[in-house]
Amino acid sequence: MIRRLLTLTLLSLTVPALSAQDLVPIPLELPKPLFVGTPVPIKVPNLEKATGVKRPPFLAPAGTVNLAKDKEVTASDTFPVIGDTPFVTDGDKDGSEGTYVEYGPGLQWVQIDLGKSAPLYAIVMWHFHAQARVYHDVIVQVSDDKDFKTGVTTLFNNDHDNTSGLGAGTDMAYIETAEGKLVDAKGTSARYVRLYSNGNTTSELNHYVEVEVFGKP
Amino acid sequence: MNSNRSSRWLEWVLLALVLVLALWLRLADVAARPMHADEANQAVKLGGLLAGEGYRFDPSDHHGPTLYYFSEVVARWRGENNLAALTEFTVRLTPVLAGVLAVLLLWILVRPLGRWPALLAALLLAVAPAAVYYSRYFIQETLLVTFTLGAFVCGRAWWEKRGLIWAVGTGGWLGLMLATKASALVLVAAACLALAACRRTSRTPWREVAVVGVVAAFVAAAFYSSFGTNLGGLRDALVTPFAMLGRVAGGESGHEKPWWYYLRLFVYQKQGGYVWDESVLLLPALVGAGLGWRRGGLSRFVAVYVAVIALVYSLAPYKTPWQVVNLVPGLCILAAITLASVRRWVAVPLVLVVLAGLGWQTRQAVFLRPADERNPFAYVHTVPDMVKVPAIAAAVPAGPVKVIGREYWPLPWYLRARPAVGFWTEPPTDCDGVLVFVEADQAEAVRARLKGNYTESFLGLRPGVLVVVFTRVGA
Repeated sequence: MIRRLLTLTLLSLTVPALSAQDLVPIPLELPKPLFVGTPVPIKVPNLEKATGVKRPPFLAPAGTVNLAKDKEVTASDTFPVIGDTPFVTDGDKDGSEGTYVEYGPGLQWVQIDLGKSAPLYAIVMWHFHAQARVYHDVIVQVSDDKDFKTGVTTLFNNDHDNTSGLGAGTDMAYIETAEGKLVDAKGTSARYVRLYSNGNTTSELNHYVEVEVFGKP
Repeated sequence: MNSNRSSRWLEWVLLALVLVLALWLRLADVAARPMHADEANQAVKLGGLLAGEGYRFDPSDHHGPTLYYFSEVVARWRGENNLAALTEFTVRLTPVLAGVLAVLLLWILVRPLGRWPALLAALLLAVAPAAVYYSRYFIQETLLVTFTLGAFVCGRAWWEKRGLIWAVGTGGWLGLMLATKASALVLVAAACLALAACRRTSRTPWREVAVVGVVAAFVAAAFYSSFGTNLGGLRDALVTPFAMLGRVAGGESGHEKPWWYYLRLFVYQKQGGYVWDESVLLLPALVGAGLGWRRGGLSRFVAVYVAVIALVYSLAPYKTPWQVVNLVPGLCILAAITLASVRRWVAVPLVLVVLAGLGWQTRQAVFLRPADERNPFAYVHTVPDMVKVPAIAAAVPAGPVKVIGREYWPLPWYLRARPAVGFWTEPPTDCDGVLVFVEADQAEAVRARLKGNYTESFLGLRPGVLVVVFTRVGA
């Protein structure tokens, strides 16, 4: 019994001492960077092949059509660096040179006027799919107010740290592919569609090959 | 007499203006462009030199030591004595100053041809897009151009006047060339061929030629041996040209390009909507080459020198755009010869057209789209996303930062202020850290090994190369 008590007393003295000793940083040695030569240029047409998964068909009420085709488009950057703003809804999704519009650096938006309010089911956007890229802070909003001050519904937002100042979003960032990004509009009625982006993983510029807005006329 | 004095004053004033313009174009906003992988690589090596770890010449994939040693002087002068303190501005200051010195040396070299050809040549080099772009780039090429021009200035004086002092000067610059890049041998060979094309009947002063060789060897040996502290560097320096030859001719480096690649950098091309065209420099330079051949002397030397380099560079499968700066001073001289040889009423508008064309290209390449993949000088360049990395790293608490990927440069530069950063080419067993940067195609493997809670975001490294950033939540 005395031996047990002695052992317990010794243990009770040792454990705090061990705990105090454990609180020092471990001598972690991390590998240093390897010095290498000039990186080699790579050519990645897009990542569609890499994913290998085709998007399942998106179901919408019968009679749903692309309401955006050839509709009026405005943009925050009124003088695009390359291309013209009407490219956004001209129906050409090829993605090669001469089929996309390039806007200046930083947060930029394009806005499509559908002519009248209509129930919307899906919005599909192609920023640029000739290369593996991620566009930052992609936000898709719809409204009946052309200034987007009232009645704004946000359908997609992957600005996780609120860089844009439009509120933080929880949607995932994605790599551009020729398939485009489909956003479920959930039948929301609106006349205007506004899409934001804030540069991409290749440059600070913003691009649109095409945007399609599916709804019932 | 008064007229002579005033015209000399005018010449000095104009030269000063050209040098100020050259400095401004090279220095304005010089830190803004993201660090290229090669720049970052060399800046981290410079950090080792500043930290007292010394420098050892590494013949594999690296060039000579002059860039590091000259940059060390500049960094210490700016009070940046370790890697964490180093800035983009400071590391790029060495090529900037070398680029301005190159303009001055070009003027000295061409001055014997006349006041206007010299000023015009200096002005063209001051604004030439490739010269400006790579004078703001922490790589060896602009230093090589400057040392070459220094060797030509001294070599020309030696050729004209003879004298040991000019031979020593030529040898000194030549030594610096050899201690900068192994490809300096191509330039030396081209200069020898050009000399042969301009050869006079006088006898070769072999004693002074030997002095040039000894001084050049001494200077190069001093640098390659890390000033006597690494004699193995001498052996490595001697084998480097053979390794370079194998790489250049081998055709498996990944940098192989068609023969017309360098020519294309000077003629009209459209890349993703952007127009690139320097034919305003190339066309008068081609005319100048014909004029130069007929006139002989320095003009013929330059014409042959440029032609030989253009030919060798074009025939070699290995090509990188920065090599083109070795052609630019010669093209500027030849273009200046053409522009100075026409009547003034033709010359003035022609010069304005050439300057406007080059200025427009420089503005686009250097200031508007310096890191854009469509810019022909921005070769496999780092994208602007990387500039966000220091802020991302500063926002997380202390702890290990892990970088996993076969492609990760320039991340070591952007994480230089952070302690405990590790780099892996393949995912380690323990991938956890407060911040984990992973090349996109390895993200799935890393995600499977992470034990904590993480948020994920994408960053670009280079065009088409993505990095997934895992940030530990509640770390």
